[in-house]
Amino acid sequence: KKMKKKSKPPEWSAYLSKLVNVSAHNNHQYKGWVFTVDPVSASVVLVTFPEENQPRVQVVLGHAVESVEVVKDGNRGNTSRLASIFSSHGATDLST
Amino acid sequence: STRFIALCPTSIPASAGEGVGLEEEQRCRSELRERFLRTLIKMTNKPVNFDMYEGVQVQAKFGASDIDVLNFQVSELQTPIGVQKEALLRCQDMISFSFDV
Repeated sequence: KKMKKKSKPPEWSAYLSKLVNVSAHNNHQYKGWVFTVDPVSASVVLVTFPEENQPRVQVVLGHAVESVEVVKDGNRGNTSRLASIFSSHGATDLST
Repeated sequence: STRFIALCPTSIPASAGEGVGLEEEQRCRSELRERFLRTLIKMTNKPVNFDMYEGVQVQAKFGASDIDVLNFQVSELQTPIGVQKEALLRCQDMISFSFDV
């Protein structure tokens, strides 16, 4: 299943928490779990979990993306793992 | 902003004329966008590797992005010809960037 350049945000939501292969400019290949796809620039945010290392975030800019292919579906475990990486510890709550 | 529209024609417009789907689409967009902004916040003050066009790789400490995500302000930019203390990187020149969390 491949993502076309003209796809819309509801279709991008379907990629959340899935393991994908992103092909970019000049045959660059990026593999990781999708945290989000920016609806303005179409940039894809991927997370990888290297063994015995900290998680790594890789952002592929929308203008360089050529295709996105789903390798593996997400599950509840990695969905919460992804969310915990970006949770706003130390953020100030502005509403009362 | 008008500056963004002028400089970044790749912006993805909302689907037009679908009243029922529009609300759902906006909900999706706001969730996806919030996650993207959280990614940028997470990157603040971290060393980031940038893959630029023509095979150029540089490393720098990420400071901030402008409102349209067209430029990044970075510090200690390690270039092949030396270290630049403060710099702006154009996002249009990048293929990807990565950092550890």
